[in-house]
Amino acid sequence: MSGHKADAKALLDDRGYSGPLIRGENPANLIEKPLQDRITETYYWKEQCFALNEASLCDRAVDMNFIGGTYGQQKASPFLCLVFKLLQLQPEREIVLYYLHNEEGFKYLTALAAFYIRLTFEPVEIYKALEPLLSDYRKLRRRRNDGFMITHMDQFIDDLLTKDRMCGTTLWKLPKRQLLEDLELLDERVSPLADEIEAIDNENDDAREGDESREGSDYERRNGANGRSRSRSRSSEGR
Amino acid sequence: MADRKAPSSAYGAGPAGDTDFRKTWNRDEYAAKAAAREAKVKEEGKARYEAKLAGKKYIPRAATPPDAKETQSRAERLNVSANVGKTMLVPAGAGIGKRGRGAGFYCPDCDLTFKDNLQFVDHLNSRQHLANTGQSGEVRKATLEDVRERLAWLKRKREEEKKDEVIDLKTRLETRQQQDEREREERRRKRRERRRKTKDGMGIKEEDQYEGNGIIC
Repeated sequence: MSGHKADAKALLDDRGYSGPLIRGENPANLIEKPLQDRITETYYWKEQCFALNEASLCDRAVDMNFIGGTYGQQKASPFLCLVFKLLQLQPEREIVLYYLHNEEGFKYLTALAAFYIRLTFEPVEIYKALEPLLSDYRKLRRRRNDGFMITHMDQFIDDLLTKDRMCGTTLWKLPKRQLLEDLELLDERVSPLADEIEAIDNENDDAREGDESREGSDYERRNGANGRSRSRSRSSEGR
Repeated sequence: MADRKAPSSAYGAGPAGDTDFRKTWNRDEYAAKAAAREAKVKEEGKARYEAKLAGKKYIPRAATPPDAKETQSRAERLNVSANVGKTMLVPAGAGIGKRGRGAGFYCPDCDLTFKDNLQFVDHLNSRQHLANTGQSGEVRKATLEDVRERLAWLKRKREEEKKDEVIDLKTRLETRQQQDEREREERRRKRRERRRKTKDGMGIKEEDQYEGNGIIC
């Protein structure tokens, strides 16, 4: 059985790299090059991330107590170091999904796996894996340059799905959910808040009914309401 | 020369009796050795040729010893502050280069001294150090089962740690007091023991005991 290399020398070799590829590229390049250098020069990377495998990585992930990109003098956070380590290890799919839904309830491990999934999985799989976590409201500490702030798991996941920059690095361009729905690769997402939003919309409609009573407006309004509820559902849930 | 008869006398007087002291050679063993060497040279030549065809430079490399261990992650943090406040005697000329024992972070396996922890940890991760400590530089690949076990263990560990945690201030103060009392009792016991050991029963003067008064370590 072939093992992992203890250090990331093979991964960082950008001319002679011969390992598994992700979308035809060296997985290290999913993190921006300057950030790669910042990660590999941190003491945490050298001391704590040396010779980790999929199991011992859990020890470090469990000890983590914040997420974030860089802080202080552009120092890479342990979260990023572990993401980079995961990119080196390329764990099997089942292991990553086990990290994501770990029944022991280690939330930073979940966040770590979510970030890794966003970087490496295929678009449809990303949506399928991460969207269930939009109803996970656990708190997360996020470290920024000017201190800590509280965020939540659902917000973090929502940012991963919608934003293009997270944790000091650019995420690769994920196709919009709407596009995948149109291609019939994904089913339409049913928000857990859908009932409430519908109720609010109905109230609004009732109020508006009195003002305008044009013919055919009913159809328009329904479509408009649908469009609005879809766009609103995620953002209102994310907060 | 295949005949392996006993050497005969120079004067044709039958087998010589006075040449027994000469070294006799085990020809088969040396033939095998030569064949092995030839095969090795041939193999290296082939590797060299193949590397050249692939446009790479051939770098001869010693084989990994068969008893090399797999590299494992650090079980605990490096204790870089272990020597803070200690006085050390270093040999003259220790300040030049890394070789040998000097002031700083010393690696006993490689007999090198480093001036800061970043250099030291870089060294601990280096091929040189791994080879000197008999590690292969490869890490075992974990399976899903390993991961599951590990996480279950971590969960148990965390729960056990939490059990000792008391939030009530009063109980915390009490446990702290008990702990202090126990430590004091221990110290008293030790002092009494020392006093009994000395002949006059006066004990050893305290100032001779503390660390760092002379050159220690």
